[in-house]
Amino acid sequence: MTLAAAAPGGTVIPNFGHADSCVRHNRFFCWHWFTSHWNDTFAPALVQHIVLTVIAVGIGFVISLALALAAYRLHWLERPIGWAAGWLYVIPSLALFQILVPITGLTTTTAEIALVSYTLLALFRNVLVGLREVPGEVREAAAAMGMGRLQTLLRVELPLAVPTIVAGLRIATVTVVSLATVAAFVIDKGLGPLILRAIEEGQFKTEFVAAGGLAVALALSADALLVGAGWLLTPWARARARASR
Amino acid sequence: MNDFTRALDFIGSHQHLLWQKTAEHMQLSAAAVGIAALLALPLGLWLGHLRRWSFLVINVANVGRALPSLALISIGLGVLGIGFWNVTVALVVLAAPIMLTNAYVAIDQVDPEVVDAATGMGMTGWQLFRRVEMPLGIPLLFAGIRTGTLFVIATATLAAVAGGGGLGDIIVNQGSYRFEGVLGAAMWVGALALLADLLLAGLQRQLTPAGLRAARPGAPSARGPVSDLRARAAGLASSRPN
Amino acid sequence: MHALAKRFATGVLVLAVVPGLLAACGSSSKKSSGTATRTGPGSSKPAVTLGTKNFTEEFVLGQLYAQALQARGYKVDLKNNIGSTEITDKALTSGQIEAYPEYTGTILSELAHQNTRPPTAAETFQAAKTFEKTRGFTLTQMTPFIDTDAMATKPPFATQHGLRTVADLKKLQGAILGAPATFQTRAQGVPGLKRVYGITSSNLTFKPLAIGLQYQALDGGQVQVADVFTTDGQLSRGGYTVLKDPKNLFGFQNVAMVVSAKVLQHEGPAFTETIDAVSRRLNNQAMQRMNAAVDLDKQAPAAVAQQFLKANHLI
Repeated sequence: MTLAAAAPGGTVIPNFGHADSCVRHNRFFCWHWFTSHWNDTFAPALVQHIVLTVIAVGIGFVISLALALAAYRLHWLERPIGWAAGWLYVIPSLALFQILVPITGLTTTTAEIALVSYTLLALFRNVLVGLREVPGEVREAAAAMGMGRLQTLLRVELPLAVPTIVAGLRIATVTVVSLATVAAFVIDKGLGPLILRAIEEGQFKTEFVAAGGLAVALALSADALLVGAGWLLTPWARARARASR
Repeated sequence: MNDFTRALDFIGSHQHLLWQKTAEHMQLSAAAVGIAALLALPLGLWLGHLRRWSFLVINVANVGRALPSLALISIGLGVLGIGFWNVTVALVVLAAPIMLTNAYVAIDQVDPEVVDAATGMGMTGWQLFRRVEMPLGIPLLFAGIRTGTLFVIATATLAAVAGGGGLGDIIVNQGSYRFEGVLGAAMWVGALALLADLLLAGLQRQLTPAGLRAARPGAPSARGPVSDLRARAAGLASSRPN
Repeated sequence: MHALAKRFATGVLVLAVVPGLLAACGSSSKKSSGTATRTGPGSSKPAVTLGTKNFTEEFVLGQLYAQALQARGYKVDLKNNIGSTEITDKALTSGQIEAYPEYTGTILSELAHQNTRPPTAAETFQAAKTFEKTRGFTLTQMTPFIDTDAMATKPPFATQHGLRTVADLKKLQGAILGAPATFQTRAQGVPGLKRVYGITSSNLTFKPLAIGLQYQALDGGQVQVADVFTTDGQLSRGGYTVLKDPKNLFGFQNVAMVVSAKVLQHEGPAFTETIDAVSRRLNNQAMQRMNAAVDLDKQAPAAVAQQFLKANHLI
């Protein structure tokens, strides 16, 4: 690389080279740029995005499970919890992130609190529905076998509720992956900042197409992973399917 | 707490601006909901009536939910440029799958026994649709319209990134409005969304025929408490926040 | 039923372990690229948290200073893309970061809320330094380059209307000025154009444009005049005429590192020397070319900064 002539004051400006024609013409997707920046730009962002998602869904699941179990026992709880979760769900994510900033600052905590809020409705509803769908006869059989309430819950009701719970996890996970991009407005983590920066810096298509594409791919893979996990956890459904063939 | 009082001050002193932005916001939302409904509802209702292509319809909802709104708006920006209609297109693309799936499920979940009985009575397809399926499907159909509308109102806040205007304009322009403006607008749009939800819920209740309205959690209904919850969970399955 | 419990546990493990592994891989690779443990005057000093605002030039500056310091053994934790001036300054005063590169004029107008514009760059710097002192911070030596607002047009338009300075904009009738929304109300924006140069809305109508879209709008003819920044990368490629500002409406915006005075003490004189050595090399042309490399050629700020530092024997 030839060095440009030294400017007054002794500053040397190296030749930074020029982008290839794909980038210069801002075509929809420049594969070469994408691969050469995978390590420094996309891979770290993708990992951060995954971490954000896993934490949000994990915490959301624990909270929703607790709330659903409470509502399962005390029926009157379902309405207020459902309403509260519903209201949180309705608030535009961009607004919720900003409303949390004065309380928890421009930190990952703020982003996580908002993301967890968006998982509550789906997870609470689905765990509750899943538990309620357990046929009465099965519960009676468990009681007849001498199982206490806790045992019935752990060994009969929850396992049978797994398909519906997994459906709820799928909705929650895909939702969080999508909303975590909006977290870019409060923290510099995940795929969102790549999209925002690409828009601000002359709408560099490759960057936000790639970042957006990665988010979609992540959501769909997480969905598939959960379907697989659900399948693993319900051997009786597989046996039934085999028997019915 | 200081920030919140300053934000309330902002709301108090910037009424004109906030109402102007709200008007822009509702204009954008109405256009997007209208177009999405026009495109998706007839198709969804028809496919539900035929009870075909369910796999495709469910997966359209899955993929639709997986599309990060921010990414789609920015792609729309890249492909179509800035402006009201360009952002509207992005919002329509995001909202249509929800409405399609909900319309489909609304008709599809009508009790097959009822459908059989109607066809047994000699009703044609169109009569079946108009006199049996539609009335029974209205609650879920409207739930879908409600979900789609709330989703569009919420996503329209992001549209500001592509020059779409609306209340998001204030929230993404912290340089101009400072944090109290951002927080004030965020609280305002949150309240707007909750208000819209309340109005639409009320409307939904009005539109639900009295017999079906009796379905409350824990209360017995024609189809049993569990299937109501399941229907609502299914409705949720094709919704998304933003 | 024991088999079920086992399956449940397996499922949960799979769901937890896979992302966990990915996260671990990610975080370990991040750590290895962050701290380049080299010997030098900084090896024995405590770590410093450096922040940057939310645009390209700040990203480049952050990388320049961070890499130069790391080459001399300092441990720098770079918090990139914190936000606007308001947010980044809050991060500084609340202790989340200990230093960040800021513009002297911005310190006066946005942080000190002083609307008077000192007539020289040196005086602007002094006034800013005095203000920061009252808050317990200090400024390092200012850069030669100034990144301030400027009015830009396309050369044919400039020739056609004889535009060489901002005052010449009075010759226009009904031309469109594109600028970020803030420009309409800022003291140095539209009101400033009127106050200092007597330019009214009959000369120029205002059209809000998001930052980053001005050059596109100029090229496409949607606006005839645009508010640009004097170190924008696009200016280094030619094709735009930048009007002079003889009455100094837009003020001086040299960059200096705002650092907590205590941190400066702890880190020692070599810390300030390293930063100053980098600052001295940053002239307008250099910043324009680096901004161009990042904004137009889509190179990573870290790589661009590294190339520059190497060429100037700073690392």
